[in-house]
Amino acid sequence: MLALALLLAAAAAVPTPAELRIAQARVAVARTPEQPRPHVELAMAFARRARETADPDQYRRAEEALATALRLAPGDFAARRTRAWVLLGRHEFARALEEARALNREVPDDLLTYGLLADAHAELGQYAEAEKAVQWMLNLRPGNVPALTRGAYLRELFGDVEGALDFMAQAFDRAPLEETEDRAWILTQIAHLHLAVGRLETADALLARALELFPRYHYALAQQARVRSAQGRHAEAAALLRARYEAAPHPENLYELGEALARAGRAAEAEAAFDGFERAARAESDGWDNANRELVAYYVDRARRPEEALRLGRAERARRSDVFTREALARALFASGLVSDARAEIEAALSVGIRDACMLYRAGVMAAAAGDAAAAARHFQASLEANPRSEVAAEARRALQPES
Amino acid sequence: MKLRLHGLLLGAAAFAAPGVVLAANHREAPITALDHKADITDVYAFVSYGADQAPGAAPRKVTLIMGVDPLLEPANGPTVFPFDPDILYELKVDNDNDARADVVFEFRFQTEYQLPGVFTALAGVEGGAFNPRTGALVVPPRITSFDNPGLNQRQTYTVTMVRNGRRTRLGNADGSPFFAVPDNAGPRTLDYEALFAAATYRLAGGISVFAGTTDDAFWIDLGAAFDTVNFRILGSGVPGVLTAAEDAAAQNFASDTVSGYAVNTIAVEVPIELLTRTGRREPAASPAATIGVWATTSRRALLLRRSPLPALDLGDWRQVQRMGNPLINELIVGIGSKDRFSMDQPANDGQFAGFFLDPPIVGIVEALYGGALSVPAAPRNDLLPLVTYAAPIAAPGTPAGPVADLLRLNTGVPATPPAQASRLGLLGGDAAGFPNGRRVFDDVTDITLRVGVGGVLAAPFPGFNPDVNGRLGDGVNVNDTAYRTAFPYVGSGPDGRNRRHLDPGEPGGGPVN
Repeated sequence: MLALALLLAAAAAVPTPAELRIAQARVAVARTPEQPRPHVELAMAFARRARETADPDQYRRAEEALATALRLAPGDFAARRTRAWVLLGRHEFARALEEARALNREVPDDLLTYGLLADAHAELGQYAEAEKAVQWMLNLRPGNVPALTRGAYLRELFGDVEGALDFMAQAFDRAPLEETEDRAWILTQIAHLHLAVGRLETADALLARALELFPRYHYALAQQARVRSAQGRHAEAAALLRARYEAAPHPENLYELGEALARAGRAAEAEAAFDGFERAARAESDGWDNANRELVAYYVDRARRPEEALRLGRAERARRSDVFTREALARALFASGLVSDARAEIEAALSVGIRDACMLYRAGVMAAAAGDAAAAARHFQASLEANPRSEVAAEARRALQPES
Repeated sequence: MKLRLHGLLLGAAAFAAPGVVLAANHREAPITALDHKADITDVYAFVSYGADQAPGAAPRKVTLIMGVDPLLEPANGPTVFPFDPDILYELKVDNDNDARADVVFEFRFQTEYQLPGVFTALAGVEGGAFNPRTGALVVPPRITSFDNPGLNQRQTYTVTMVRNGRRTRLGNADGSPFFAVPDNAGPRTLDYEALFAAATYRLAGGISVFAGTTDDAFWIDLGAAFDTVNFRILGSGVPGVLTAAEDAAAQNFASDTVSGYAVNTIAVEVPIELLTRTGRREPAASPAATIGVWATTSRRALLLRRSPLPALDLGDWRQVQRMGNPLINELIVGIGSKDRFSMDQPANDGQFAGFFLDPPIVGIVEALYGGALSVPAAPRNDLLPLVTYAAPIAAPGTPAGPVADLLRLNTGVPATPPAQASRLGLLGGDAAGFPNGRRVFDDVTDITLRVGVGGVLAAPFPGFNPDVNGRLGDGVNVNDTAYRTAFPYVGSGPDGRNRRHLDPGEPGGGPVN
């Protein structure tokens, strides 16, 4: 009877790649509980499940399994590498970097350790170091997927969107067929890149395929919502973001939902979403894994509390110098009237090479406020060139019109 | 933006097993195990001892050789073993003690097919063979020159000398290309010796160049070495320890695993004044006399940061392998660092100083001998001459430079005529042999065992026994093929039809035990 029930349960839902790995690792743990390796495999499977579901509790389980592995084999390389991975997942970038560096000194040829180094450096805004790590990965094993996806991310940050697409396409071609979530993720990233340059239809088609590969995938839902927003289909965007928030109930996701609801003209629901967002985001604001950048945007755009935006922007900027954190601080500075500081911050972000239409537009607004009309025009133009169909395209065009 | 981070993680996660991802563990660094064409087998650097070098006289020229693409079975048609046109092959020389290249010889190859319809790279028979009905030529005449059509797959190459930043393309006086000697497919097909002679190019300015498929000049009981140092038991009764008679004999007591195999050889002979930092021949006592030599293979890198106009971007190179001293990466560098070693520059070798000055292999051999062999304690400063500019190779006053895996050669030490030379080089009282440079016939296996494991340069130390520590050896003392006594010094490639691999248990192959 029980066997039949299990069989029926199994038939009801095809396990995801991570679920399958969790099941396999549990069998291995049960067979040889005194061996560290199965516990590390279990931890890795939970970490993968965390990506599939955006459920932080999976990281807690991973940490438990790693603690067991490290008790059985103190200093075990694979266990420590997985721990560095989980630290990245928990946004503890500095600690993850420290661990990855130690691992790299110990075994300089381990490919994925360079990936962890690259991730930590990139999130901290240390792009030259991130580039070095990824270039080394590409040299070490030409064509390896972890290097290609990271290389794509850096290429995008360096302003080479077509190059990023090229790397992502290579990664997709090399990803094993059975790794449905990985392939859905790569498709979602490719869609994001197309969307960023205004190719909405291509992005839409890719996302449909990603959701076929991995149904209700939270990353793909979010990206699809952004396509709908760009298409002016705000109600659909809000519905998708609602579904995404249900799958991945993180405060920053609530903020994006609030924005979509506001655009859809559903003010009361938007208000509720923003209230919930502010409460939840403030609760985790002092931790590494926070929604401070979204909080800054919220205090600048919605709540009109520039002093609070500035406090949070500076606190987050003290932790990391990535382009998005710099942009957030620039916005807080600008809202507080510190125009030249704001400009310096956003120009520093743009100097990395990123050609994000919104960021360029904001740099233009800041330049205009400082009376630097030439720089403003250059930024507005660049914004339109980067993405002629962005949410700020109309305003950028207007700003470029000669005053009548 | 959390999407981003998780995205990155996911990209990383992709199909990773929790183990260390080092790919295959082979006889070389993992990266080169996957890339045989770029695998450097050996590097040689020595004062030329050809007929134009009077015995005992001040040295005039130095020969630099690199072997690539290991264990080529000469019978392995039909496309045999061309050099890879995608690889940049380089021989590098440091002459100012900073472990950075001051003189470089770059080799690039091109391949062409003369008879695309023919089934093999090499085809020929004396006088040619004809269709009995139509009279049409079916098999081209035996290959005796590089113009023969039977040399279906033909390789040419270019050599560029980079000296003090200036690039000089080396060439024949008449502008004709350099041809690479093909595999010795067999006596019916080609006259290998004629091709070899024709492909030994003597250029204006005293430089000579050569490239081709030749005998692998190296010899070793590779099978024993990589069966976890399982050397054969010979006269002494202790595995890997030779008796005085065995040590002195010019014959083999174990199998030369490399016998009957070919390798791709690149060689250049250069007047010494082109290599030293002073631009002069320097006497042995001069601090400017000692150079450091290494070889590299590189392929084009896929660059993360592209040029704004990729079509105009010549790109960058990624180093696949490098080699200075023999057996360093194979035996000394830990498996988790071999790729880093292969891809990095000698000037950065400080990161491997731990491996160099306390080689893990020494402890491994000591343990395997279970008390029969005592080894010196770390740090092994006696190994410094191999990894810095130090006595007895470099003259007093030579800056030691950083720890770096370079083959150090004192260009002022006169060559020893081959008849008087010792396979044991410096250990055999022959100042012109390894580790003062490396000649094709130097027994680097035995020397490395005695220096590295036996600690003969550190002697005396507790437990040191000259009849054990000083007599370590694999039992392979000579090559299976005669060496040339003039540039390029390597022997002729074994012919694919008649080659022999000498195996354990057969005459000349040593015992099976």
